[in-house]
Amino acid sequence: MLSHFLLMVVYALLVSLYFTTLWRRERRAQIVLFLQLFLGMVGGGLIVAWLMYPFPPGPPAPIP
Amino acid sequence: MADTASPEAPPAPPPSQDGPAAQPLPASQLVMAVALAWLVPGLGHVYLKRAVRGLIFLLLVIIAVGIGCSLQGNLYRPMQGQWLSYLATLGEIGMGVPYFVLRYGLRYEGQQEAAGFEYGTAFLLTAGLMNLLLVLDAWDIASGQKE
Repeated sequence: MLSHFLLMVVYALLVSLYFTTLWRRERRAQIVLFLQLFLGMVGGGLIVAWLMYPFPPGPPAPIP
Repeated sequence: MADTASPEAPPAPPPSQDGPAAQPLPASQLVMAVALAWLVPGLGHVYLKRAVRGLIFLLLVIIAVGIGCSLQGNLYRPMQGQWLSYLATLGEIGMGVPYFVLRYGLRYEGQQEAAGFEYGTAFLLTAGLMNLLLVLDAWDIASGQKE
């Protein structure tokens, strides 16, 4: 359950389903919005991760 | 054949995604819907006769809370001198009864050293904020601004 990618996908799934149910009533419009949100979040996350890849990781954050 | 429609007649507005607005409810029912929507995720929608939608919302918020807790995310509480903790607490209190059950009933706090702490916190915060939006949605439905 601690896979970053899996957690991101689960998060995107929950949020996409939520906003689809909140904002759309017709089945077709729901499917379109769901795909836009879900693929946007997962794809956007992957793109940001890819853009950050060249940057070296910093020191681990201290635990307060 | 003569066209009876006036050339200057404005085009019909596109159909709203929310459908036709319903009749506004009395103030007492509006307050009840908003209160129920905050207390139990989705209950405001069930009260407003949107049972299926309400149950979907309940399921989504509870799943988000469950994942957040299983990852040992932070259940925020106000901390002196850290104003962001007040904001985060407000956001998580948005989930209603589940927040108080976790905090006072189950004595849940989260575990900062846990590997999933940050993700869990994001899930818990999201659950609270999602329910706050549901409160506003219930308000819109009860006041006749939304179907």
